[in-house]
Amino acid sequence: MDHDAAREQLELAALEPGGLERLMAGDTAPAQAVAAHLAGCPSCTEELVRLQRAVPVIRSVVREMPAPDLRARTMAAIRAEGVIRPLVVAAPGATTSAPATTHPATAVPPVPGTAAAVAPQPFGRRWRGTPVLGLVATIAAAVVLSVVSTSIIVGGRVDGQLAGQADQIATLEEVTTATLTVTAQPDAHHVALASASDTTVAGSLAFSPSIAQLVVVATGLTPPPAGMEYRCWVEVGGARRPVGKMFFSQDLAYWVGAAPAVSGISGRATFGVSLVGAGGSAVDAAPVLVGAL
Amino acid sequence: MNGRGGPTDDAEVVLRMAAGSEAALETIYDRYASAIFAAAYRLTSDRGTAEEVVQETFLALWNRAESFDSAAGSLAAWLHTIARNRAIDRLRAAGRRPSLVALSSAAGLDEDPTQALERLVSGGSVVASAVAPAGPEEAYAAVGRREAIRLAVGEMPEAERTVILLAYQEELSQSEIADRLGWPLGTVKTRTRRALLRLRAGLGAEFGPAAEHEDMPVPAGEER
Repeated sequence: MDHDAAREQLELAALEPGGLERLMAGDTAPAQAVAAHLAGCPSCTEELVRLQRAVPVIRSVVREMPAPDLRARTMAAIRAEGVIRPLVVAAPGATTSAPATTHPATAVPPVPGTAAAVAPQPFGRRWRGTPVLGLVATIAAAVVLSVVSTSIIVGGRVDGQLAGQADQIATLEEVTTATLTVTAQPDAHHVALASASDTTVAGSLAFSPSIAQLVVVATGLTPPPAGMEYRCWVEVGGARRPVGKMFFSQDLAYWVGAAPAVSGISGRATFGVSLVGAGGSAVDAAPVLVGAL
Repeated sequence: MNGRGGPTDDAEVVLRMAAGSEAALETIYDRYASAIFAAAYRLTSDRGTAEEVVQETFLALWNRAESFDSAAGSLAAWLHTIARNRAIDRLRAAGRRPSLVALSSAAGLDEDPTQALERLVSGGSVVASAVAPAGPEEAYAAVGRREAIRLAVGEMPEAERTVILLAYQEELSQSEIADRLGWPLGTVKTRTRRALLRLRAGLGAEFGPAAEHEDMPVPAGEER
C-alpha cells in the first residue's frame, strides 16, 4: 500500500462513525494493510495523528449546525401554527433583508416551488393535531392556486376552464379526504420531503402503518417527459419497493392510496420518488424527492 | 447565517415582523437560528430536540412580537431565554438534567465571554464558575478553529456540504449516503474526502493536512 492509498483509507475512515477506531483495530484486510504501511511511514502516521485531533472538533462543530432545511420547516410551521398577521411575502428573487412587499389581503397562498410552499413538519407529539391542518391547508392552497392560474391562462375558453377546475377540485377532494383519513390514525406520521439537488422541489408525506395508507403531494416537479413517470418507493434494509406513480394536476403532483410497503415499518426506512420509464415497476433510479420515515 | 444587526436594527426588524413581514422574520432567523440551535443542542445533546426548540422559539417570537422591548434587553437575550426555557421544559418532561456547558461554548458567534455571561444572567440562567480547562491562548485558538470550520462548511460546494452534513449530523456511512442521494459510492467517497480536506485546510498545521497532501481528489467527470 502506498501513501495515497493509505491516506485515502484514513480519510474515509475518519468520515464514518467510529471509523478510525475500527481501522486501527486492524481486524480487516484493508486495516492490516494500513497498519503495515503506518509501521514504516512516519509521514502517514503524523497524518493519522492530525486526523485524530481534527475529526472530533469538526464533528462537534458540524453537529451544532442546524440542518439546511430547518429554515424552510420553521417558516412553514409558523405559517401553519402562528397567529394570523397581515402576511407579507417577499417578491420572487428578493433578498430576505430587502423591504417586504405588503399585500392588503390577510392571507396569500404560497407559490408552488418556493419556500412558502414547503409543508409544515410536526414539532412533537403535543402538536400532532394541528400540523394536519397545515398539511391540508398547504394542499388546498396549492390546488387553489392552480385553479387561479388556469383561470388566467384559459381566458375565454370557459368550457375548458370549468373542466380544468372541476378536475382540480376533484383532486383536492381526493387528496384532502385521504389526508384526513390517514392523519386521524393514532400512528399517523408526517414527513417533509426534499430534493438533494433542487431547492424548488418539495413535498409532504402522510402515512399510517396500521392501515397501510399513504398520501404524498409535491410541488415544483417538472411534468415527466414522454415515456417516463414519477414513481414512489419505500426503501427498507437497502431494498426498494414500488408504491405508486405520481399524478399531476397543474403544478401539484400527488399520489394517494394503499401502500403495503409502509405496513409495519419499525426500523430505518426511506421514502423516495424517482423518474423512471413508464409502465414498468423499476424504482432504482436516483430520487428526485426523498425523506426519512 | 451568522450576520448580526445591532440592537436598533433588531428592534426595527421586529417591528416590521410584528406588522406581518415574513421577510423580517427570515432576517431574524438568519441572524440568530444557528446560535440558538447550537445552544439548544449543547443543553439537550439531541439534534431533533434542538430543532424543535428552534421552531418553538421562532414561533414564540412571531406570536409574541409585541411583547419584545428593546429597552429591556437585546433580541439575542430574549430569544436565548425562550430557547433555554423550551429546552429545559423538554428535558424535565424527559426526566433529564441540562448538560453542563462551559461559558465559552455558551457564547454566540459574535459574543465574548463577558457578553455571554451578561446575557445568561439577564435571562435568569444559573451560572457557576470552574477552572478553565485551557489557557486563554488555547481557548482563543479553539474558538478560531470552530469559526473556521463553520465558514468552510458555509462556503464549500453544495454537493460536498450535503455529504459532510449527512456523515457528521446523521452519522450515515458512505454507502448509506450513496443510497440516500442516489449517487455512485465512488462519487460519495470523493466528495466526502474533498469536504474533509476543505474543512481541515483552514485549521493550521496541528489539525490540517500536510502541505504535500493538499491535492483535492476529483470525482470522475468533474473539474478540480
